[in-house]
Amino acid sequence: MGETPLTGNALEVRGLTRAFGARKALDKVDFDLPEGAFLSIFGPNGAGKTTLVKILTTLLNPSAGSVKVCGLDVVTDAVELRHKIGLISHNPLLYADLTAEENLLFFAEMYGIPEAEERVRELLESVELDHRRLDLTRTFSRGMLQRLSIARALLHRPDILFLDEPYSGLDPHAMDILDTLVAQIRGEHTFVMISHDLSKGLELCSHALILANGKVVMFDERDAIDEAAFRETYRATVGMGVA
Amino acid sequence: MASASWRQFKAILRKDLVMEMRTHEMITSMGLYAILTMVVYQIALTEAGEALDVRLVMPGLIWVAFIFMSLLGLNRSFVHEKDQGCIDALLLSPVDRPVIFFAKFSGNLLFLLAVEVLSLPVFAFLFLQGREGISNPIWLLGVVMLAASVGISGVGTLLATMTVNTSGKDILLAVVFVPLMYPLLRAAVGATFAAVIGGPGSIETFWSWMAWVAGFDVIMLLVAFGLYEFVIGA
Repeated sequence: MGETPLTGNALEVRGLTRAFGARKALDKVDFDLPEGAFLSIFGPNGAGKTTLVKILTTLLNPSAGSVKVCGLDVVTDAVELRHKIGLISHNPLLYADLTAEENLLFFAEMYGIPEAEERVRELLESVELDHRRLDLTRTFSRGMLQRLSIARALLHRPDILFLDEPYSGLDPHAMDILDTLVAQIRGEHTFVMISHDLSKGLELCSHALILANGKVVMFDERDAIDEAAFRETYRATVGMGVA
Repeated sequence: MASASWRQFKAILRKDLVMEMRTHEMITSMGLYAILTMVVYQIALTEAGEALDVRLVMPGLIWVAFIFMSLLGLNRSFVHEKDQGCIDALLLSPVDRPVIFFAKFSGNLLFLLAVEVLSLPVFAFLFLQGREGISNPIWLLGVVMLAASVGISGVGTLLATMTVNTSGKDILLAVVFVPLMYPLLRAAVGATFAAVIGGPGSIETFWSWMAWVAGFDVIMLLVAFGLYEFVIGA
């Protein structure tokens, strides 16, 4: 693995297009995101948000255009890039028939993390699940699964964290814990979050992006955004329906 | 890099073994299917009585049971990965896709061999009691079971990956898998027949059929290895 080029940008997206048959889920998407930023992505269902995150996380290849994450191309440098990204999804991405500890140790081996047991213990404590470390995750509540999912995503100390509707289905206590964890690591990571919750997304972000019909409708820094105008634009995009 | 791949291979295989030991989903479904199939065979052949030398049809009966039994297991082999989106977490990790293939293939092979080994005594109990047994050394049967199971697991792992996200995956896997298995099935039945019936020239016949089995294994494993990155990312 080579040195990661320092570009100052965590994301560089140029002319990104992704087609499924004749339908374009993403159509010539362009934007840059600086390192350390928190990007909230909004848009109606079918706008292309999840497709965008799947491409940024190397789970899907673009049909056209170029995408660099942490200076690495998502297609040609995918294996190296995967060391630098973490994903917290509305799905926990955890094995139900493994214990909390076994799940984290499994992923620690996949990432080749040194002193994995120590790292796993530290993370289980930080998400307040150390007392349930030997329990199968199928016995966990939704909130507990999401906390463990956060631990899994942070295991390899990624540079950039992708959050795909992470608050979906969480009870208020679990939302508080997630807020606290995000606040704790905010300065150490770049964040990209998909959200349907405008208030939450705008509260957390440094940059905001609205997608509709696979195109960027609005992208700007949070400080430059007039919230009323932003909400109006968002409402108009929801009315645009799906691509 | 090679040691990283080896570590990841062991981790995925160990994870699959641990989960199977806990749930018994694959072993139980495959084992029950094998036993029930043999009981049905036994009923179907009851009227033939002593007039039928069961050894003549035994190779075909065994491999038909094993092929359909393996379908059940292969259908289940990706269920854990699909649950809760685990396959995405696996694909997000820095693992070469062929490593995932070989780990899943090895797990499927171990489970298939375990059920095959357990079901053979049942077959012998139901069909060979008081009759002439296997003419050639029994380890020949072990060789053909091992080699044919490699091909079944290799092709099956690739196809199970392709069909896991499709609707009606059970029937789709069967429709694609069984025709692809035809050459292997023919060669495995031929080799098993030569091992069971014996007689002059049977060992030579056995090894000539085994060459077909080995050829199928090599070709199909290479194809699966080459296609897996595309298939799992599709």
